Amino acid sequence: MAADERVELDPVEIRLILRHGPWPQPVLRDPSNRVSGNAAAGALGARLFFDPRLSSDGAIACASCHVPARAWTDGRPRAVGRAPLERNTPTVLDAGLGRWFGRDGAADSLWSFALKPITDPREMGAGPRQVAGAVRADRTNACLYESAFGEPPAAADERALVNVAKALAAYVETLRSARTPFDDFRDALARGDREAMARYPAAARRGLKTFVGKGRCSVCHFGPAFTNGEFHDVGIPFALGPGRVDAGRHEGIKRLHASPFNLLGQYSDDPTGAAATKTKHVEPQHANFGQFKTPSLRNVALTAPYMHDGRIATLRDVVRHYSELDLDRAHADGEALLRPLGLSDGESDDLVAFLETLTAPRATAVPPRAAQIAGCGP
Amino acid sequence: MKLRFALAFLASTASAAQACEPPPDLAGAARIESRDTILFFRTSPPKIAIGQHFSVDAVVCAKAQGAPPAGVRVDAQMPAHRHGMNYRARVTAKGAGRYVADGLLFHMPGRWQLVFDVERPGRTERLTRDLEVE
Repeated sequence: MAADERVELDPVEIRLILRHGPWPQPVLRDPSNRVSGNAAAGALGARLFFDPRLSSDGAIACASCHVPARAWTDGRPRAVGRAPLERNTPTVLDAGLGRWFGRDGAADSLWSFALKPITDPREMGAGPRQVAGAVRADRTNACLYESAFGEPPAAADERALVNVAKALAAYVETLRSARTPFDDFRDALARGDREAMARYPAAARRGLKTFVGKGRCSVCHFGPAFTNGEFHDVGIPFALGPGRVDAGRHEGIKRLHASPFNLLGQYSDDPTGAAATKTKHVEPQHANFGQFKTPSLRNVALTAPYMHDGRIATLRDVVRHYSELDLDRAHADGEALLRPLGLSDGESDDLVAFLETLTAPRATAVPPRAAQIAGCGP
Repeated sequence: MKLRFALAFLASTASAAQACEPPPDLAGAARIESRDTILFFRTSPPKIAIGQHFSVDAVVCAKAQGAPPAGVRVDAQMPAHRHGMNYRARVTAKGAGRYVADGLLFHMPGRWQLVFDVERPGRTERLTRDLEVE
């Protein structure tokens, strides 16, 4: 690493940088999922995540698209299930921290989001009976299910399907990314440790200044997870072909409200209803058309290609997109949030250098074997 | 006689304006005043966190001899970015000019503007307050 070249930070920059931590964030249980944090549910979810029997043709598992070695994405511009899809596969690392799930936020919980790829005919294409069967017919799965839920796999297929999704969510919640070189720098900055700060590359520090300053990236890529969890139009076209568009968040809100699996429905385990506040108060607005969820930038260097449809191949190209932004395309509904950044080649290289320091070690590692639950076999 | 009448009028208007005070549980609340309206409000929680839902508890009353408000709508926007919230606040009238708005959420840091549209027969009056949210 290059030695610190005295890239100084002013008090405003320091305040903005400190907002991007601490990391890791505390793990919070999902009140709508009664097996969130449950070891047996997590173990069941770990088995099912890699099990192609959850698909109608027995060929596709969750891990077919969320590949651990690819930082839990698939490296393709657009996902391919049983048929080609329109959107890029997002990582599931740190997914448990989200408020909305899916590129369009059509799901308000991690468990309800898991239902979509399982049941979508173009993805895994399975029905409730098949999914329930994959649990009932497998002795270990059935044992883990009973340990987690306190009863054998439900006789009602839809209830069993939902519980499978909750077990998957209990597993995915555990997929958390570790600390990064940026986090070490951020914490050193917080305690005023200049010796530790000096270990952070000068190029990354310059890029960080751009990130919180001229680039205003931290307005949307906010907080420790580097995302505000909401939706924006960043000037990426959303036409899918003649007469077809991807309406993004606008359609996502409609699907959310129409779903029997949202947090206002019977399958939420939250007795207070507080988790559903967001669902109660979100309404489709004209500005939502063509908006997609702000992704986390943690491990972004590992999750190419980029944008909701995977059209941008490299991080350098993403930076170029924002540097040369087409204002005519980006001004959705009069919103004046984005503007072309006009970055020099050096500034762009530095911004990429910073983004690369958001890579956690072992982000592509196969997770350790799930906890053994007594009496439930291998 | 004229002086006594003038003093009585001033007293009545002063007392009408002074009658619009926040209830004890809103003591110290923020105050916004327009030509016709006085509004007190407090957010819950008091410090708004980015990405967390919050409520606004407000008391609205008419100044002097103005018509009392018939209702209030509550919203928010970021004037510099020209966008509003991604959520629709729901306002519940609690009686005696008291309103509670639920479901607000600020999704990015910066200067937000709380907007109170006070409704009266035939017209709406807008009161605003800027908030810097980190």
